[in-house]
Amino acid sequence: MGSDTSSRPGIRVGPTSEFSLFFHVKPGHGEALHQALRDLQAAPGYRPGDYEMPIASIHEARFVPFDDDTRLLFATSFDGPWDAYMEDFASKPLRLFDAIFQHVVGYEGLPTLESVKDFILSAQQSAGGYARNYGGTVKEIRKAAKVNEAFQQVLDDPDAAEALEHPALRPLLDVAAD
Amino acid sequence: MSTLPPGSVHGPVDTTATGMSPALEIDDIQSGALHERPSPYVGTYLLLKVHEPADGRELIRRLIPLLQPGRELTEPGLGAWLTVAFTYEGLKVLGVPQDSLDSFAPEFQQGMAARAAEIGDVGANSPEHWEKPLGTSDVHIALAALSPDAAHLDAVVDRARRAQEQMPGVEVVWRQDCYQLPTGRTSFGFKDGIGQPTVEGAGTPPTNRGELPIKAGEFILGYPDETGGMAPVPTPDVLGRNGTYIVFRKLHTRVAAYRQYLHDKARTREEEALLGAKMVGRWQSGAPLALAPDEDDPALGADPARNNDFGYATDLRGFTCPAGSHARRANPRDSLDHENSVDVRLHRMIRRGTSYGPPLPDGVLEDDGEDRGIIFVFAGAHLKRQFEFVKTQWLNDGIFIGAPDEKDPLVGATDGSSPFTIPQHPIRRRLPDVPPFVVTRGGEYCFAPGLRALRWLADLTT
Repeated sequence: MGSDTSSRPGIRVGPTSEFSLFFHVKPGHGEALHQALRDLQAAPGYRPGDYEMPIASIHEARFVPFDDDTRLLFATSFDGPWDAYMEDFASKPLRLFDAIFQHVVGYEGLPTLESVKDFILSAQQSAGGYARNYGGTVKEIRKAAKVNEAFQQVLDDPDAAEALEHPALRPLLDVAAD
Repeated sequence: MSTLPPGSVHGPVDTTATGMSPALEIDDIQSGALHERPSPYVGTYLLLKVHEPADGRELIRRLIPLLQPGRELTEPGLGAWLTVAFTYEGLKVLGVPQDSLDSFAPEFQQGMAARAAEIGDVGANSPEHWEKPLGTSDVHIALAALSPDAAHLDAVVDRARRAQEQMPGVEVVWRQDCYQLPTGRTSFGFKDGIGQPTVEGAGTPPTNRGELPIKAGEFILGYPDETGGMAPVPTPDVLGRNGTYIVFRKLHTRVAAYRQYLHDKARTREEEALLGAKMVGRWQSGAPLALAPDEDDPALGADPARNNDFGYATDLRGFTCPAGSHARRANPRDSLDHENSVDVRLHRMIRRGTSYGPPLPDGVLEDDGEDRGIIFVFAGAHLKRQFEFVKTQWLNDGIFIGAPDEKDPLVGATDGSSPFTIPQHPIRRRLPDVPPFVVTRGGEYCFAPGLRALRWLADLTT
């Protein structure tokens, strides 16, 4: 595993940077790992359609067991340079995945936050390629979705067309046709 | 099955339950780190260059009796606080062995000028424009003297100067005097220095009931910190223990530009005051918007038992205090707790700012050419995750509040094109193109050792 600091914090697109961790699964823990991932998938915030993961600064999260369950990938997109948040990440968010990381090599028995941090960094690999289809942070995207929902409600009003004729609303009228 | 020791639990921690921290060696810790500056105050900062290591070490020996370790400066008889700190170059010149130098925080070894691009000191703020010798290898020792009155300050500075004058191998290369303006406020017109973290074991009562005392190891090296571990202590232990990193920055304030901007954006004096408060997060008296949303409340601002006793959890959208305001950025308090992305307690700073230069007279909107501003001083165990984190993630950037284009409207590293959003009903107000109101004149990363460490330095023979 490389922990070459020159590759950090990886590729950034707008405010968001890619963040991937590759772990070794403890021998014989494949099934237990899958169970832990199923449990996570059933937890609030991770259920299909929930869209409210407990960590507010990541766009998505995936855990991928691979190589016959001997390896585990955790991949996400993080708002901000994740390396600045390493100490933060090593304390609170990592704990949220405690049940999963118990099945990977090197997680247990770490005495200090510094060693937890080293554990994460030793698993980190920067992407060779990374691109995004939309800009903005999670907070901006959520707000944009909320604004769009409100706008669609406006458009459902029979008087919307007339109201949008006001010059101040011109930018909204321009996107109201479809 | 927890992988972290119990002490590493974050958020509000019951420190009485986990109260295993060793007692602070108050008598070995330089006083400036743990105690508020006096108010009113006068002060002098001196930067020294060491030409002859033996003279430098002898100067340290003579300065030690002038230091008042750990004690609060409440009795006038105590005179003045003197704080002694060293740059990396300074420790090197004084003969600290290389393996010891290598044990200091990487950012300290690099120095502030080398970190300029990282922390946003670019353009007009870049080291090439700094006051000499700030940011050069000529700065070795930093002395700060603070006192409630000029007579006591002069007495201490004179003694320090006399000690230095007897050492021809030590040269004073920079001096900055500072004093509290008659208003008791900064050149921008605001009461400052509110909202300091309470350090566990330092004997100062908390002023914010929502923030339990912060572990001493966040500020003083050699003690457990908020992570349950300990910041790396430079070696040998006698040198590192009870020391603290110091950030020292001279920030010129463009007061006329600030006033002009508010004047242009507001229709009335009241609106001007409100816009100013929205940008700062407090009214000029120091009264926080969180407790005084509509108008200044000087009694609140002046009351240390109340002016820091608040949070933002009930105002997440910032209708009372904008998320992008200066005070809320510098210390988001409880506003980010629900996001699980950041632990605010890992990014607290002890600040010991002072003012320099004459005030711009009331009502003046034109620059008078005078140099005025703030000497920003930080004390903490982590240059990177405290000072640099706050500067880069919270002041110079807006990603964390979902506004990547915005920066701190007062001190953010800006080219003048960033907006500032004020949430309000019925529609938000967005101030465009907030100009830079602060210019970095220079600064240094320093290390303020404990008293035993100073004796160790004075006894070096290399």
